[in-house]
Amino acid sequence: MTELSDELLVAYVDGQLAREQTRAVEKVLAQDEVIARRVAALQEAHGRLEAAFEAILASEVNETSIEPMRAVAALRASEPHRATPAKAACVTAGVVVVIVTAAVAYIWPLTLPDLGRWRDILTPRQAEAPTPSWHVDAARAQGLLSRASLEVGLESQGNRDFIAFQLAEAIGPEVRLPNLEPQGYRFVRAQLLRNGDQPLVQLLYLPAKHDPLSLFATEGHRDSEPVFKQEGDVGTVFWCEDGIAYLLAGREDEALLYRIAEKIRHEPVAPQPEPPPPAIPAAALPPFVADTPPPGMVSEPEAPPAEAAAPGALVPSAPN
Amino acid sequence: MQAKSSHDSIRHGLITMLPRLKRFADVLVGETRDGTALLGRALRRMLAEQNRYQRGTPLDRWAFSEIYRLWLHELREQPDPMRQAKADDKSFERLFGAAEGEAVAVDVLTAGFLGNLPPQQRCTLLLVYGEGFDHEDAGRVLDSPPDTVAARLIRASASLADRLGASTQVPPSATIEMLYPKGQQDHHDRTQ
Repeated sequence: MTELSDELLVAYVDGQLAREQTRAVEKVLAQDEVIARRVAALQEAHGRLEAAFEAILASEVNETSIEPMRAVAALRASEPHRATPAKAACVTAGVVVVIVTAAVAYIWPLTLPDLGRWRDILTPRQAEAPTPSWHVDAARAQGLLSRASLEVGLESQGNRDFIAFQLAEAIGPEVRLPNLEPQGYRFVRAQLLRNGDQPLVQLLYLPAKHDPLSLFATEGHRDSEPVFKQEGDVGTVFWCEDGIAYLLAGREDEALLYRIAEKIRHEPVAPQPEPPPPAIPAAALPPFVADTPPPGMVSEPEAPPAEAAAPGALVPSAPN
Repeated sequence: MQAKSSHDSIRHGLITMLPRLKRFADVLVGETRDGTALLGRALRRMLAEQNRYQRGTPLDRWAFSEIYRLWLHELREQPDPMRQAKADDKSFERLFGAAEGEAVAVDVLTAGFLGNLPPQQRCTLLLVYGEGFDHEDAGRVLDSPPDTVAARLIRASASLADRLGASTQVPPSATIEMLYPKGQQDHHDRTQ
C-alpha cells in the first residue's frame, strides 16, 4: 500500500498540484483502492462544501421575488458580475446563478423589507452632505454682513410698534422685538427672510463700534435653554421659547452673546400693538423685503419700491 | 467630483455584491440576524471610511476583509469572545433557508459540520470553495498566511471526509513517496 498524506490528496482534489504531481497521484489511484476511496471521500467533501455555500447564496437570493423581465433589465443595467469558478459540468447552473445573483444584487436592497437600513446606507442621498439647518444658514448669512451693509443709505425704522405688529403677523404674537440700547446695540431695521416655507425674521442691531448683531426668529417647537455654537467667526446662541425659535448671531464672544440672550429672554413681551392707523392703507404698504438674501434663503417677493422705504427695510421709515 | 465618482463606484460595487457579502457575514457569525446587523455596520463603515480603499484592490476582497475586521474588533470587546463566536446548529441551518418548521432540503451533515467549525475556518472554506479565492487572497481577507489557509482546508476537508464514512486506513501524517520530482522533495522536506 502506498501511503499519501491528506495534505497531498486535498491539494490534488483542489487542483493545486503541478501537472507532474497530478499524474503521479493518478497513477497511484489507479493501483491503490484505499487511496482511491480516500480521494473519493475528499472529493465528496469538497463537493458538499461547494454545494452548501451555493445553497446559502441561493437562500439569500430566494428571500425576495424576482420578476423575470426586471431581472433581465437589471442584469443589463448592472456591471458585469464576477462569477465564482465553476467546473465544466456546472457551467449552465453557474450562469443561471450569476444571472439571478446579479439581478437580485441590483434590486435586493430596494425590495427586501428587512434590509431597509441597507437601502438607507447605500442610496446616494445618504452619501451627500446633510442639508444645513436654518440656524447654520443664518449664521452664514450673518457672516456676509458688515457695518457698510447697514450704514450706507439706510434710514432707521423708527416705528417700532408697526414693526412689532408685522413681526407678530409673520411669526406669532409672542415674538420679541427686544430693546438692546442698554447693552449698546441700537435697533436699525428688520427684514423678513424665508427658510423653506417658514418665515424667518432678522432683527439687526448696530453697536457703536464693531459689526452688527442679528436676532433671527422663526417658528419653533419645544422650549429649550440657550446653547452657544461657533459657526466660523460668527458666534450663535440658539433657544426656543413660546413656540418661537431664536438665534442670536454676531462676531462676539460667547459670554457676551449669552448675556444678551438672557436679557432678551427676560424682557417682558410687549402687548401686541394695534394695526397701523387707517391713514396709511394696508394695501399701500410694501411687504417685507429682503435686500440681500443670504445663501440658502429666498427673500419674499419683491414689492414695488416705496419712496419712504429704505433698501431692505421691513416697513416704511418713520421719523424718530 | 472625482471623489464623488469614486464613492458612487464603491457604493454600486457593494450593491452588486450584496448577496455575497451577506453570505460571508452570515457564515462568519453563524446566523442570519446577527449577520445582517454586522453587514449593516460594516457597510456604513466602508462608505464612511472609503478613503482607506486603495484603488486597484479587488473590491470584494476589500469588502470581505472589512467585514472580517469589524467582526474581530467587536468580538475582542466581548467579555467572553469564545462563547460569542460559537454558532448554534439550528441557527446555522437556517442559513440554508430552513425557516422554523419549514421543510427545506438541507445537507444536515455538512451544515452541522460547518456550524461546529470555528468562524475563521468556516470563512476559509467559504472563501476558497464558495468564492473561488486562491490561498493568498483568502489569507489577505482573513489576515492569515497562505500556509494557515492551506492547513485549515486540509483539516476541514479530511475531517468532513471522515464524517462521510468513507475514511480509509491512511494515517493523516503518512509519508510522501515518489510524488515530488527531485528538488521539490528536498524543498518539501525542508518546509516540514
